[in-house]
Amino acid sequence: MAIDLQQMRNFCIIAHIDHGKSTLADRLLEQTGTVMGKDLQAQVLDSMDLERERGITIKSHPIRMMYDGADGRHYMLNLIDTPGHVDFHYEVSRSLAACEGALLVVDAVQGVQAQTINNLYLALEHDLAIIPVINKIDLPAARPDFVAEQFIDLIGCDPDEILMVSAKTGQGVPELLEAIVAQVPPPQGDPEAVPQGLIFDSIFDPYVGAVAYVRMFQGTICKGDRIRLFGHDQQFEVGEIGWFRLARMAEKSLSAGEVGYIATGAKDVRTVRVGDTVTLVDRPCSEPLPGYTVVKPMVFSGLYPVDNDQYDGLLEALQKLQLNDASLTWEKETSAALGFGFRCGFLGLLHMEIIQERLEREYDLNLIATLPNVEYELLLKTGETVLVENPALLPDEREIQEIREPIVLAEVITPKEFVGPVIQISLERRGVQRKMEYLDIERVKLDFDIPLSELVVDYYDKLKSVTKGYASLDYEYDRHQVDDLVRLNILINGDEVDALTCIVHRENAYSWGLKLCQKLKELIPRQMYAVAIQAAVGTRVLARTTVKPYRKNVTAKCYGGDITRKRKLLEKQKEGKKRMKQVGSVEIPQEAFLAVLKVER
Amino acid sequence: MTRIRQRGPAAGRERAAGLYIHVPFCASICSYCHFARTAEHDAGLRRRYVRAVVQELELRRRACPSLGSPGRRLATCYLGGGTPSVLEPDLMTELLAGTLGALPRTGDIEVTAEANPESLTTDLARSWRSAGINRVSVGIQSLDDRVLRLLGRSCDAGTARRALQTACREFPRVAADWILGPGMTRGRLLAELTEAVDLGVEHFSLYLLEIHPGTGMQQAVAAGRVVLPPDSEQEALYLAAREHLESFGVHQYEVANFAREGAESRHNRNYWRRMPYLGLGPGAHGFYGKLRYANPGLLQPYLRSLAAGELPAATLDPLDLRARRLERVILALRTVQGVPVAWLPAGFDPGPGRDQGLWRLADGRLQLTGRGFLRIDTIEEFLAGMVERARCG
Repeated sequence: MAIDLQQMRNFCIIAHIDHGKSTLADRLLEQTGTVMGKDLQAQVLDSMDLERERGITIKSHPIRMMYDGADGRHYMLNLIDTPGHVDFHYEVSRSLAACEGALLVVDAVQGVQAQTINNLYLALEHDLAIIPVINKIDLPAARPDFVAEQFIDLIGCDPDEILMVSAKTGQGVPELLEAIVAQVPPPQGDPEAVPQGLIFDSIFDPYVGAVAYVRMFQGTICKGDRIRLFGHDQQFEVGEIGWFRLARMAEKSLSAGEVGYIATGAKDVRTVRVGDTVTLVDRPCSEPLPGYTVVKPMVFSGLYPVDNDQYDGLLEALQKLQLNDASLTWEKETSAALGFGFRCGFLGLLHMEIIQERLEREYDLNLIATLPNVEYELLLKTGETVLVENPALLPDEREIQEIREPIVLAEVITPKEFVGPVIQISLERRGVQRKMEYLDIERVKLDFDIPLSELVVDYYDKLKSVTKGYASLDYEYDRHQVDDLVRLNILINGDEVDALTCIVHRENAYSWGLKLCQKLKELIPRQMYAVAIQAAVGTRVLARTTVKPYRKNVTAKCYGGDITRKRKLLEKQKEGKKRMKQVGSVEIPQEAFLAVLKVER
Repeated sequence: MTRIRQRGPAAGRERAAGLYIHVPFCASICSYCHFARTAEHDAGLRRRYVRAVVQELELRRRACPSLGSPGRRLATCYLGGGTPSVLEPDLMTELLAGTLGALPRTGDIEVTAEANPESLTTDLARSWRSAGINRVSVGIQSLDDRVLRLLGRSCDAGTARRALQTACREFPRVAADWILGPGMTRGRLLAELTEAVDLGVEHFSLYLLEIHPGTGMQQAVAAGRVVLPPDSEQEALYLAAREHLESFGVHQYEVANFAREGAESRHNRNYWRRMPYLGLGPGAHGFYGKLRYANPGLLQPYLRSLAAGELPAATLDPLDLRARRLERVILALRTVQGVPVAWLPAGFDPGPGRDQGLWRLADGRLQLTGRGFLRIDTIEEFLAGMVERARCG
């Protein structure tokens, strides 16, 4: 499409979850006539059921809009709808790097949240033009003036630069389109130079293989060209190239400034990495674009089929999900208690939840997920350093010189009345307060150093509950740090249940073991045997409880030869036991494997 | 007293069959009962019922020719209810002639009828004897007025005693039921059982009271009018009764059933052994090896179907291999012979249950102990879960 660079605008939308990003995107698509009539459903760009239901964006969804500006010119607007959640921090940063401007959208009721600030800083790092937008001004509880002041504090903008919008009613959207044209700078770059494009996302298409979502910074790439990816030093022939409407639109080429896609034919999405640079084999650029890293999983959990028959199904499902999700890692794992399964690595808690939910929902699997874990760095007495992400695989205490655990910088924004409880739950989880600052008269930003292992357990849920849902959280990996950590084993009827093993601070081991035993006692139903539950560090038993066996339980008279009733009853009870895993002679419900999540500190 | 000896294990086992006839009438409704029964009936209705059952047998026989084949012989018949003893003697004779009389039988057929104490008179007993009934099962429940009142039984202890005496005088084989529930104490129970043994009762069924939704008992318990003894007391009653009966040579042979050697209910034992049986009457169940059926429980729809010359619309329960395996395990588990270890699901470790005294392992079988019988539901549930997981199908 022959359009002058001066008439191109590449932008994204930054918003906290539920602040209306996807609805605003819908309005932009509608008002530019990009999506019409029957295609118009709520949250057009969120294609997964899960994205619509949870109101979150998981994958990037770029789309090109044509817009006739008030100045009579014809503009090409490329919107890159980005994932909004902290887990996808790196993906967000690459999407921002593909843009020249960002709409900073804040809910008129809720005001600025932690993710807003983090993504804003990220946008400022990339020198993006920021357009402040207050959304949902149609709501009765909207406080646009208050939020405007937050904006002014935050980015130092002029009050009249702030756009008042209702994505729901469409109010303020025409003004917003004009502001995009006026304030987002046009892309720079020479279409004739050596090609250099940034991969900001990738998907797997069963027909054309891995498809790279690309922002061209220099030069032109055509269909049939031989391309090279820097990160993996791989070469491909461009099978298809083009731009985005709701579907992919094939084109002959993609030039500097444009946003589009390149079908590589690669069989594995992991070779087409987000952040990598694409260039031509024959006319390569000398340097890749900055900012490329391979993201590493932060949170690990064992996934096991309740029914061993579903093992192959789980393997296949993980392989399929990985086609489209380069950040999901897994390896085969065997647990004495749970049988064959997989240790999976996730970017964060939301990522983990999403994967688990998709496995159960889209692939109809019945899973047991073990307690989320982190990657520990161990210095052994031999001087060797090893990484352990499964507590059950921690070597004997006598072999370990020191254990280092990942520490994150957590940033909490909360209304001031909850500062006390927020600090309390953070300290209870071994957090160290770093900073406290008032964002405005009502809201406070608190920074903590906190072990990721504590954060992944229940910190977010607790935070939401002590702040009545008002606090927001963002976190970022900082460092590994030595602490006095021990492995706490749980024994059921004398057998160690590897899936219940956890790593805790030595000082907390006793109270933790006691509470865990009590919680397990509540969660493991009575059975025909007495079930002894013990918590131990090494050979030292710290706590012990017993689930008493059933008492009198005789109901079946099979009177008059009615055997059916009894059998049907047993079959029905079996349905209810679907989430029970038999460990030795004890039936343990799925919730028990997450008992740690429910322990009160 | 004549005793019918137990037949040799091989004799006719393959070809024997049972017959169950459900008599849905009661003089009054006991507060704990949840079976198909009605207290509203008159002579006309009872007559129509008898004719309908006879008609049902004819229709079933037409639908399944092997039922009438001389190779398949009835070895047992059981009239349950409801209260079979509320049927007029001539109606009972007609009922048995039209059903039992129409099928090939073994020479030593066991024919049991349930009777409630107030209707078991000498006249009735003699009439039953001449109609072919050779075993009577009396719903005693207790020989104590207070306990009987708590259970909502209409008879008093005196009537119950007289009924036992009559039964033992008139019938070669007498069985009686007890309920271990509210008001029952250890001393009272053991004394009552001793009394019954002395009278000549050779077979006892001991039931722990079950509270079924929708019964008067459930309302009474919910309202606090009846207080159930704690589980531990009911357990102690069961174990004490078991030991007590054993001391008289009355052995346990099934979770709820106790009998002198050779006096076991052959009919009921065939249920645990998965022998075929025909069920007639409203709410009756039948079994053909791969299929179970249940007649509709309500009397009026049952009568209407048969009046129209049709079999009542029974609920069918076809058994696949998995269901059959599950059945044979849970049914064998009820008996003192127990379950052959080979039938148990792969991966089942019998060690912990043996160590905790729930069962013993003998002759390649897993046999529940008294404590184990008290937890049979839980044990069944556990084994059923394993049978399911093992996917033997």
